[in-house]
Amino acid sequence: MNVLEVKSLCKNYKDFSLKNVNFSLEQGKITGFIGRNGAGKTTTLKSLLNFVNPTSGEVIFFNKSFKENEFEIKQRIAFLLGGVNYYLNKKLKTITNVTKSFYQNWDNNTYKKYMKQFDLDENKTPAQLSEGMKVKYSLTLALSHNAEILILDEPTSGLDPVSRDEILEILMNLADKGITVLFSTHITSDLEKCADNIIYIKNGKIIAEDSIESFTNSYKVIEFEDNIINEDLKNKIIGLKRAKKGYTGLIKAEDKPLFNCACTKAVLEDIMVHIEKEIL
Amino acid sequence: MKNLLKKEVHLTMHPTAILFLFLSVLLIVPNYPYYVTFFYTGLAVFFTCLNGRENNDVFFTMTMPVAKKDVIKARFTLVVILELLQMLIAVPFAIIRQNMGIPGNAVGMDANIALFGLSFVMLGIFNVVFFGIYYKDVKKVGKPFAVSSIVIFIYICIAEACAHIVPFVRDRLDTSDNIYVTEKLIVLIAGILIYAVMNVYIYKKSKKNFEIYDI
Repeated sequence: MNVLEVKSLCKNYKDFSLKNVNFSLEQGKITGFIGRNGAGKTTTLKSLLNFVNPTSGEVIFFNKSFKENEFEIKQRIAFLLGGVNYYLNKKLKTITNVTKSFYQNWDNNTYKKYMKQFDLDENKTPAQLSEGMKVKYSLTLALSHNAEILILDEPTSGLDPVSRDEILEILMNLADKGITVLFSTHITSDLEKCADNIIYIKNGKIIAEDSIESFTNSYKVIEFEDNIINEDLKNKIIGLKRAKKGYTGLIKAEDKPLFNCACTKAVLEDIMVHIEKEIL
Repeated sequence: MKNLLKKEVHLTMHPTAILFLFLSVLLIVPNYPYYVTFFYTGLAVFFTCLNGRENNDVFFTMTMPVAKKDVIKARFTLVVILELLQMLIAVPFAIIRQNMGIPGNAVGMDANIALFGLSFVMLGIFNVVFFGIYYKDVKKVGKPFAVSSIVIFIYICIAEACAHIVPFVRDRLDTSDNIYVTEKLIVLIAGILIYAVMNVYIYKKSKKNFEIYDI
């Protein structure tokens, strides 16, 4: 079941535009939203919740138009921009106290459970928390109002590998409980560890929406020592670029038999780096 | 709405807003430009909006289940409450000043009923200028405050000058409250009405501006 459908979303700025963005989210799945810096990830996420006014398009959560059901939908979702980047010098208990008054489904027991599980002290301020703990506090607030969809913008950026892994594990456990996660990041290795699906945005345009497995399987990375591949084959290489020893390029998996050189499985980072290189 | 006001008071409102309310006591200073007393709320509004910007208040608030228009409603409610409280707290001090048995304010308007009416107009102008600019881009707090401060400075200069040179203001409005009460009450009621109309106008305009503003 789709819990979010984005249809023909457009947003025009002077020097950037989101172009006809379409995608959907399946319930209980983790979807990675990737793209390089400035590709339109945050603008897309902000457009979903009317933080920015889309020029056109429709956003449908739980089969209901966001515009017409903003209050009800916001009760059922959570939007986290990184960890906590607001009221850094207020105590967590003050922020919680204010936050809970907005939600009809606030569950104090769940709140206490996660605060204990994540080892969070209510008397601390966000400024006193590590980046990882800030994300955990944000997640605690989201889970305490029983959010069914978590929209996370770069939740693992700036975290050390251990903290990142911890956050990913939490997200996977939440997905097992039926919570849907849309997770924007440019740390593609995080998605390989936890995401089911992938949405790839480039210059404000969605260029791929697929399961992560099918997406990565559709490409291969070739490596060769000198640049002597003939012109016909060169046209089939996406983003030919220098490597430590020779050159690397991305090819469609079906073109693999045409190339007589070292060929390896493509990971998200390979795909992204070569695709970005190609279009540039 | 109650929850948004709770958020405004517990998180966004700058603590000096409370302190400034008690500066209403300035009305007992024998000679002072009393209009300035009421302008301290404007400073509190500026600090509160600045505090909001530094703490990503708009982002935090918009993640809550609220509509954009309610964010505006909450801020205006807080501001109007602060301004009305400033007026209310000033009343006993105005009465004390009038009963101190010393001559009226040599600087300008006495602490009387008309002063309150004219101060309501001043706060209305402040709100129109400040919020008229602020809600076009909530990341810029300095510009609306600078412009509104200049406008209010000019207003105070003109109002205080009138207390010296305009016969009606000098002889009737700038007097103790035991005389010309009717005239002063008319000024007070007119001031309150003008304040209300200006607030309704700027509230609606701010709502429109903020609705199209991209956070």
